[in-house]
Amino acid sequence: MAKKNWSEIIRNNIVTIMFIVLCAVCMVFSGYTPAYVMYELFGRLSRNLFIVLALIIPIVAGMGINFAITIGAMAAQIACILVLEWGVQGFGGFALAAALTVPMAAVFGFGIGKILNMMKGQEMIGGMILGYFANGLYQLLCLFIFDNIIPINNPNLTIKGSSGIANTMDLVKGGIAGTLENLWKLSASQAALVFAAVIAVVLLLSHLRSHRKNNKALAVNLVALAAFAGVMQLPFMVELFSMVKIPMVTFGIVAVLCLFNVVLMRTRLGQQFRAVGQNRTVANAAGINVDKIRIIAITISTVLAGWGQLIFVQNMGAFQTYGAADQVGLYAGAAILVGGASVVRATNTQAIIGTILFHLMFILAPAAGKNLFGDAAIGEYFRVFMCYGVIALALVMHAWSSVAKKKAPKASDK
Amino acid sequence: MKVNVSKKQIIACVLIVILAAAMGCVGLYGLSSRASDSGVKLVQDMQLQSILNTAGSGAVDAYVAAEKAAVTKQVRDAGGNMKAVREATAKVEVEARAKAEELGIGAVDLSAIDTKPLAAALNTMVDAQTVYYAEEARAQEAYIENYQATAEVDTSAMTDDSGAEASMEQAVDMSGFVATEEMVRLQGGVDEAYLVLCEEIKVVFPALTDDILQSLKPTITAVMAEQKDTFEKQYDRAITASNTDTGMFGWILRQARTLALSAIGMVILALAVFFYEPLVKKMGVPRLIIGMFFVLLCLLALILGLSLPTQLGNTLVRLGMNGVLVLSMLPGIQCGISLNLGMPIGIIGGLFGGLLCIELGFGGIFGFLFACVVGIAISAVTGVLYGMLLNRLKGDEMGVTTYVGFSIVSLMCIAWLVMPFKSPIMKWPLGPGLRTTIGLQSAYKHVLNNFLSFEVFGVVIPTGLLLFFALCCFLMWLFLRSKTGIAMSAVGANPRFAAATGIDVDKMRILGTTLSTMVAAVGIIVYGQSYGFMQLYQAPRQMGFLAASAILLGGASTTRAKISHVVIGTFLFQGVLTLGMPVANALIPGSTISETLRILISNGIIIYALTKSGGANRG
Repeated sequence: MAKKNWSEIIRNNIVTIMFIVLCAVCMVFSGYTPAYVMYELFGRLSRNLFIVLALIIPIVAGMGINFAITIGAMAAQIACILVLEWGVQGFGGFALAAALTVPMAAVFGFGIGKILNMMKGQEMIGGMILGYFANGLYQLLCLFIFDNIIPINNPNLTIKGSSGIANTMDLVKGGIAGTLENLWKLSASQAALVFAAVIAVVLLLSHLRSHRKNNKALAVNLVALAAFAGVMQLPFMVELFSMVKIPMVTFGIVAVLCLFNVVLMRTRLGQQFRAVGQNRTVANAAGINVDKIRIIAITISTVLAGWGQLIFVQNMGAFQTYGAADQVGLYAGAAILVGGASVVRATNTQAIIGTILFHLMFILAPAAGKNLFGDAAIGEYFRVFMCYGVIALALVMHAWSSVAKKKAPKASDK
Repeated sequence: MKVNVSKKQIIACVLIVILAAAMGCVGLYGLSSRASDSGVKLVQDMQLQSILNTAGSGAVDAYVAAEKAAVTKQVRDAGGNMKAVREATAKVEVEARAKAEELGIGAVDLSAIDTKPLAAALNTMVDAQTVYYAEEARAQEAYIENYQATAEVDTSAMTDDSGAEASMEQAVDMSGFVATEEMVRLQGGVDEAYLVLCEEIKVVFPALTDDILQSLKPTITAVMAEQKDTFEKQYDRAITASNTDTGMFGWILRQARTLALSAIGMVILALAVFFYEPLVKKMGVPRLIIGMFFVLLCLLALILGLSLPTQLGNTLVRLGMNGVLVLSMLPGIQCGISLNLGMPIGIIGGLFGGLLCIELGFGGIFGFLFACVVGIAISAVTGVLYGMLLNRLKGDEMGVTTYVGFSIVSLMCIAWLVMPFKSPIMKWPLGPGLRTTIGLQSAYKHVLNNFLSFEVFGVVIPTGLLLFFALCCFLMWLFLRSKTGIAMSAVGANPRFAAATGIDVDKMRILGTTLSTMVAAVGIIVYGQSYGFMQLYQAPRQMGFLAASAILLGGASTTRAKISHVVIGTFLFQGVLTLGMPVANALIPGSTISETLRILISNGIIIYALTKSGGANRG
């Protein structure tokens, strides 16, 4: 029995295990020091985690990976351009951009939901092509509507000698860059203490409020937290994280989003998401407005993706006006699948593990490719291949299992 | 045919037709007036006025210069230093200009002088110029053709982005262009005519010297005529140079063509509104929109003075160039795997064939056939494997094919870097790997395009290319009518029924997928021979989408397609793209709006097809 469980666990998480092995191999050949890798990794985590977490709700609602999050990212970029144009600086500028993103992304999300409802069963490819289509509209907006029909007065934003929005948006000059990051930064060991303390308080509070007092579980959790915080204070861990400065607010927001995902799933709406995701016909028969629930799921995801992109660009300090959103869906989708999610099932943990592994490979692959084959381009292409390959593999395995499921009852009939 | 027409439609039609009639009448009147005495006189007067204006300013300059010289001499004689001279001349210049204006040296009213000899001299010169420019255009075209045929194009300068197709017409370096003897002779004629004109100008402005007139020559000749001149351009130049007000009549003359063409557009629009229902039923909304858009682009091209035959000729080339690639979608759709967005798998086979052809040094038609055979052989193998994969995921093909295609393209990116090809045409001069864009001059560039090609009305018809496309379509048509082909279509239409009649569903699906992959391999070779380059690395990635959108635009659905859909769709899609670029550039210079247009059309049509694929009805 135990043996069977092991093989099943391995089979269900084959992609994750493959990636762990791959990352280990790349780590050996990359020649980077662990401290540097940690530094890179935390930088990438702080800007990418949020948008990956935005994918969870549509997956639960049975719409697969929402490749249309690129459209949410575009909404965020439009908001950024507007804020730069108005010259609102500092944290106020960031907050204004975040506020502006919400109505835009919500409207777009509603539209995406409407269209995806017309192509049930083809949401993923549909979402991807919607993303491409929206990219065309976005170009139309930035090249021909802004600066021609809607005047843009900030000379830094427009193409010199021509019309339209420039290729690169400089947020450092605009005063938005790093506004969220720089609010509160701590070293890794201090950050571990803070997070452990916060989680402990939350645990205690929920323990006090819950009716079933599970003292044993609470104690185990608290001890684990204390152990984690303690280990982070050890000299070799301090050494490992010596280059890392944790942006507390960003990670705090990510934690809030994780909590939001968990809490939402316990509400009525969350149950409806799950019901629709498991079987639309049954959900419909149970009186759930399937189309409406799907639109809500996509709208939430699009708004969250918009915020995710905002976090990303303020961390980077600049973005490519016409290219920054293109790959968002691809990278986020690949990341969540690497964490062991499938196109029908995803959790916060999978999203976080996936993002860590995926970006670990992104950091290591070019260097490893250069050291192994003498050409950084090979590593570069390899990681692009892994992005697509992981998604293709996940889709193949999902399709495979669903075909097998369809066949299974027939076989039993005979 | 019974047509149900609502009241609103009729009202709209009548309004549009009235407007069209009004515009058409004014336009036709304007067009006919262009040749009439009053029309000719109007333009001629403007041209004369602009000559007089130019010459007049020259005369003023001459007068001022003379005054200045006199003053300088005076001051010098009085023993003044440089500073005094400068001050004096500055003062006298202002005075002289004021005086010139007062005396009316520069301004001559046209009605006050006898224009006949001037006009005659002008006409002679414009005629001479016209002949000269025609010869110049011919010579330059010949030069460009020659240049493209012989010059080694620097492929390393080309980037590998998907917009590479936009740069199909390479910029030709004209610095090596030398005037032909004929041009020199004709230029002599123009010079002579100008001298005659000068004599006449001197009558009006005695103050002008030959030197000044010679220096004014470029300005005056440029106003009169230029290469590839049209009435509109001539008019615009004259009106800016002459600074006259031509009133309503002039406006009608200028806009006559625009008005007449707009009237034609309005009539077509009215017809479309009237027959809206049957048209939509027959063509579907997107095809109607794109079709109307195509007509609009044609009219715009005419209005903007672009050569429509040249553009349509380009469209024909593009039709043949992309047609086979689009054709590869057909067996995929028919056998039930829906849009084969994994087509890049076949394209890679074709690219491989092309690479081998260059490596082995084959060229011409043999090289082309060799590349096709190798491409087909490779993609037959990959196609069967790919078909077997797709058989295990029935119903979910589209998403999977896309990502399988993408990942194989990026896997091949690594392969292109490490493959042991030796030919210097293909390898980067430094470092390992193949170039992103490989020139096919040495292999099979334009072997089909140039085969039996001929020229009608200034349009080069790429006979070989079109014949090859037609041959492919015919073979496909034959196949679809064979027993196997019908069985395959039956599998796509209704797999259960097909299985019940004893058809091996899986086998037929593999057949269709393999066929699609093989045709794609041939398609990319045809594309390459027409384009002149092979694009490796990321380039094949989007081709599946372009082919899919073309066939959908032609009227195919994700489950049913015909040969006619391929031809119509490719023609419309490529026509809009070919016409869109010059028209957009004429409207908004230097813009990339045509690229944006391509993104919108190609993805919009796929979204439309997906929403119509019946997904809404499933559970």
